[in-house]
Amino acid sequence: MKIEEYISSGIIELYVMGLCSEDEKREIESLRRQYPELEIAIRDFETELEAKMQQNTSLPAAETDKRILKSIDELRFSVDNFKTTAKKTQIIRMKPLMAAAVLLLIVCGYFIYSLNKKITSLEKQISGKDAEFSTLPAKDYKIMLEPTITPVAMLGVGIHSICRCTMFWDKKTGKIYIIIHHLPQPSSTKDYQLWAMVNGKPVSVGIIQDEIRGRFIEMKEIPSDATEFIVTLEKAGGNESPTMEETYMSGRI
Amino acid sequence: MKDQNLYTEDELVAALKKRENAAYHHLYLHYRGSLFNLILQIVQDAETANDVLQEVFIIVWKNIHKYNQEKGRLYTWLLNLTRNTAINKTRSKNYKNSLKNDDISIYVNSIENKETAVQNINLIGLRKEVWKLKEEFKTVLDLSYFHGFTQEEISRALHIPLGTVKTRLRSAIIELRKQFR
Repeated sequence: MKIEEYISSGIIELYVMGLCSEDEKREIESLRRQYPELEIAIRDFETELEAKMQQNTSLPAAETDKRILKSIDELRFSVDNFKTTAKKTQIIRMKPLMAAAVLLLIVCGYFIYSLNKKITSLEKQISGKDAEFSTLPAKDYKIMLEPTITPVAMLGVGIHSICRCTMFWDKKTGKIYIIIHHLPQPSSTKDYQLWAMVNGKPVSVGIIQDEIRGRFIEMKEIPSDATEFIVTLEKAGGNESPTMEETYMSGRI
Repeated sequence: MKDQNLYTEDELVAALKKRENAAYHHLYLHYRGSLFNLILQIVQDAETANDVLQEVFIIVWKNIHKYNQEKGRLYTWLLNLTRNTAINKTRSKNYKNSLKNDDISIYVNSIENKETAVQNINLIGLRKEVWKLKEEFKTVLDLSYFHGFTQEEISRALHIPLGTVKTRLRSAIIELRKQFR
């Protein structure tokens, strides 16, 4: 087909007016680059069509003009809108990175969650154990935390080696506190008596009246120069001097 | 505001792409008459035409970067955009006019039977020119340009081969152009 025939076929007019099929459109857009006369013919019809269309006018109402010009101005004012679109594309580009970050967060979150769960269950276990000591009043805990407190481990002597208790000796106030871990219940006619050895001489600290396991027992004040403590089994109410044969426990500072 | 003669087409396109206010005002005031006329030919309702006109200029503002000067004049782009926007409007759900534009057979029947609905079309501008053409040219041009049906759709609806539709369209538009002069 000669280009002159093509030009006068009506395809130019259909193309300019948007009535070509996609194939016809591709063809003419390729040909117009090869044939300057085709390009000129297209431009000519465009000019002609514009002139023709501009002859037939219907003006919208004045309010419509105002409204539309205002809406265009508002678009102008919302140029930030336009910038936002640019930002959006940036966000889209960042998407893979964001997705990775989100995934990492989820993994971390799950890790923290399961760790937390473990901690919670451990805490429950610990608080369960705590409950065993919970008979120990807060003031007793406080005593143990005092910096002036010296703990003394009292160990069973001879055949009473199974016996155990811990003493807390407050050197500042001179008070003794005892937690009994294991000590056989004495008969009703007997009492356990605590002695402090001061300069080689036993000084009675008092009767261990309560044998309830884990309980703090406050004894009377003792001199700060005690070096050793012993627990003996005495007659109910205690004795003036310890019955050394009945020594159950001893402990050194 | 700049006078229309102060813009060459290149200057106007450059200013529009920079989204200069004055350029859009100029574009609107310079072309609204012919575009509104074309919209009226398609939607046949002034109120709807107002909405379409506004839509067109917003689309222009938002899509001016897509306009390629190498592919045609600004007005050609504007005209095709306007025609498409108007046709889309006639196919939308809230289109008031009874001439809802999505079923080609209605138009084929009404054109062929010269039904009142179609006869009542307010013929102005380009559409008036099209309707001066002989029947077979008028039908294919009216269905394609003012209703937006494809060559294939027209071929099926009129029961004529696609090749014939193409030939008729080309002949019709050559005849139409002759009427321009």
